[in-house]
Amino acid sequence: MIAALRRGLGRRLPLLLCAALLALATGYPVLLLFLQSIFPDILGGSLAGAFDAYRRIIETPELGAMIGTSLGWAGAVTLVSWVFGIPCGYLLARTNLPGKLWARMSLLIPIMTPPYILALSYVLVMQQGGFGDVLLPIPNGLRAWFFSFWGVTVVMALASFGYVALAVEATLSTLPRRLEDAATVLGASWRARVRHVLLPLTVPAILNSGLLVFLEALSNFGVPAVLGTRSNLPLLPAEIFYLVTSWPLDLALATSLSSLLCLLALMALYGKRCLAQWMAGGHIRPGTAALQPLSRRWIWLGWGWIGGLFLFSSVLPYCAMVLTSLAESWGGDGFPPLTLKHYVALFEPGSRSLWALATSLGLSVAAATLCVVIGGYIAYVSVRSSGPLRHVLDGLATLPRVIPKIVVAVGLILAWNAPWIPLNIYNTVWMLLLAYVVIYITDALNYANSTVRGMSPNLEHAATVLGAGRYTVFTRIVLPGLRPALMAAWLTTFIVCMRELVASVLLLPPGVDVTATYIFNQFEQGDIAAAMAMATVTIVISTIVLVGFQFRRRP
Amino acid sequence: MSVYLQCQGLRKVFGASVVLDDISLEVQEGQCLVLLGPSGCGKTTLLNVISGMLAADGGELRCNGRLMDSAAKGVHVPIQERGLAMVFQDLSLWPHMSVAENVGFGLRIRGMKANDRRHRIDTVLEQVEMGGFRDRMPNELSGGQQQRVAIARALAVQPSLLLLDEPLSALDARLREDLKLELAGLLRESGVTAVYVTHDQQEAFALGDQVAVLHGGRLAQLAPPEKLYDSPCSAFVARFIGSSNLLPFRQLDGYALIEDHIAIRVLAADVPMEGHCMVRREAVGVLDKQPFAETSDQVILAGVCEQTHFLGERKEAQLRLPSGERLRGVTAGHIPSGAPVWARFPKNAVRFLAD
Repeated sequence: MIAALRRGLGRRLPLLLCAALLALATGYPVLLLFLQSIFPDILGGSLAGAFDAYRRIIETPELGAMIGTSLGWAGAVTLVSWVFGIPCGYLLARTNLPGKLWARMSLLIPIMTPPYILALSYVLVMQQGGFGDVLLPIPNGLRAWFFSFWGVTVVMALASFGYVALAVEATLSTLPRRLEDAATVLGASWRARVRHVLLPLTVPAILNSGLLVFLEALSNFGVPAVLGTRSNLPLLPAEIFYLVTSWPLDLALATSLSSLLCLLALMALYGKRCLAQWMAGGHIRPGTAALQPLSRRWIWLGWGWIGGLFLFSSVLPYCAMVLTSLAESWGGDGFPPLTLKHYVALFEPGSRSLWALATSLGLSVAAATLCVVIGGYIAYVSVRSSGPLRHVLDGLATLPRVIPKIVVAVGLILAWNAPWIPLNIYNTVWMLLLAYVVIYITDALNYANSTVRGMSPNLEHAATVLGAGRYTVFTRIVLPGLRPALMAAWLTTFIVCMRELVASVLLLPPGVDVTATYIFNQFEQGDIAAAMAMATVTIVISTIVLVGFQFRRRP
Repeated sequence: MSVYLQCQGLRKVFGASVVLDDISLEVQEGQCLVLLGPSGCGKTTLLNVISGMLAADGGELRCNGRLMDSAAKGVHVPIQERGLAMVFQDLSLWPHMSVAENVGFGLRIRGMKANDRRHRIDTVLEQVEMGGFRDRMPNELSGGQQQRVAIARALAVQPSLLLLDEPLSALDARLREDLKLELAGLLRESGVTAVYVTHDQQEAFALGDQVAVLHGGRLAQLAPPEKLYDSPCSAFVARFIGSSNLLPFRQLDGYALIEDHIAIRVLAADVPMEGHCMVRREAVGVLDKQPFAETSDQVILAGVCEQTHFLGERKEAQLRLPSGERLRGVTAGHIPSGAPVWARFPKNAVRFLAD
């Protein structure tokens, strides 16, 4: 009986281990955050003052208005992203538009650009006495419009419409053309086919990408912090940030607002699910799609659309960024003299900037490696097991995808600053590494998950039958199969860690910088050129790593 | 009865390869034409030309007297205006629509009122015995049920011409057997003119009023099923229709020589100089004792038994002739492999075919 129990435990051990790890890393901070939001003094061991903070939220009209603004803004960003992205997706998937490769690349650049860098660049373009004032005639009306609700919305949408475009493209290009042929044969016109067949089948992709954009907008910290404050547009993540970082700290209010943010995100997820069910997409076996031939006029219009979006999402902000980093000063009229001195200063040995760069590189490499190793193993264990524990594991692993990063960061502060924690990792760089891994392990998990799901268990059974042990099976059979997915996951994680802002701003110990905080702080303190030089360097490094991987992947 | 569909010298070229070469055939109204052939023979291409998904590069296609396709005259009527219905190999039911919505789609496009539409949907679903499933989604149905819905979707619009592209090939063998007969009944009942593509000769025989065998883009033979079975016009057709023995022969002075020692008197004008002669398996008896030639109109060939197998309704033996050719026939009992055997068949069961 004990032997049987031990055997059962042995079989379940990996699953238990993974669940425990995730529960400690993700579940515990989030749970503590909720508890703290309800009982403000729980860290002191008291349950007094339950729901005080929530009462304050209800009683303060400004807070209610701000939550409303946040939701409205995220919704507006989603709508604008749909307007921008859906035509791009259709053009790429369903027409014979020439130069699709370039069009696709033009979508990837804004996806790769961190939203806060886009926002900073646009501040440079639009603000009085900046880059735009000198080189472009910007009417005051446009400037006023830009520093308002819709201007900020458009900037955020420019950073996120690429997701919509790529998701719509992916769905439309695998929709079997037979489904349309079947309608054509029965006499349906192009319009009727789009309305009755194409659109309903694309709705799930549109909703999914919309949810992604909505959640990103709702929880994004960079754009609200950079543009929201300049546009008199108070948004939830920026508010939470100031409550946690500015004196007097109001942890109770911060955690309850965080909890609300979480709740809103979950509600959006649930709402999307209901909507998707109601609109019922149905399962589709992928096939080859039909291409619609475009007339000359439509080719011009299509490229005008994609090119225009590229101009505003990439060319203009990147020009502003690079020019600013190279400009001597922006005082006088006309084109400023160019200089490399900001870059020289950036790489000066022993400087803060060089340290920030080194810290970012080290943290990103470490975090990406940890995410891939742990995420890959957890995905494997999760897919290859069954039972209730597996659902717990899946749920825990996907938590960070739904829960805004800023909320995870606040939760981590509470969790590792609590009086019962014996280790002193809060206020060290290790805290940041932990945060990166917790926040970004989901990406690695997803990559690995879909690959493991596609791998037949019989591949492993075949090895087991030949006498291979569990370890051998994992290292010799599973890992090689996972390698491409894990490489992609490593790359993604590395790049997002290199530019991670919100967790870094909240969790870095005093006196330590990473690239994102360096850019953010220098910009706010007025050393714009240094900030933009660092932004340029970060993006160049990410691009080099990306291109390097692309080349290595080809034999 | 009048001619409904007419193909005249249809030709289709993809790059350098000729996929359809001078196809001429006619389908009578209310009849079913089966396009039969191995994969790559051009049967699906021909169907796609008829449906309008492909434009012919040469020749003419007429439907009910109307010119549908003619490269020379620059005519290509778009698919939507041909008034067709089609059943696809992969069914292609719209996954986001219920059974009733799928079936009613064509009616809706044609502007039928909701009330009439509902009535028509019910009628057609009853016809394919899917009356109780109108509100199900396609993914909740089994393969056979999905097939019935796909057929109902096509029949609902009462098309003048129904095209079926290997509609049963996605189903398992037993279901295919059942549905084949049902489909044949449905086609007859609804009186629709149909073109049916398949590579399965059982299906072709069960469904076709006429069967067109295609080979390498050309029409090898067009005939009713019985005629096709009894007198195939070439060795290829005989081989493809199956269950025949084929032995090479050559003609010498009014005699056809088989295996170099059997001579059958033939009319020189009707028989090619050389080719293959065909004997159906069921006409060949395999015996384990040397028989006496009872009459002069029987052929007896000696060989060695390679194997016997039990086929349910009969037992079949395969023997090897001294020339190395193989022959199959019916046997009464079990014959051990390696035993000497004799094959016997009547001379008038032999057909002489060109290659």
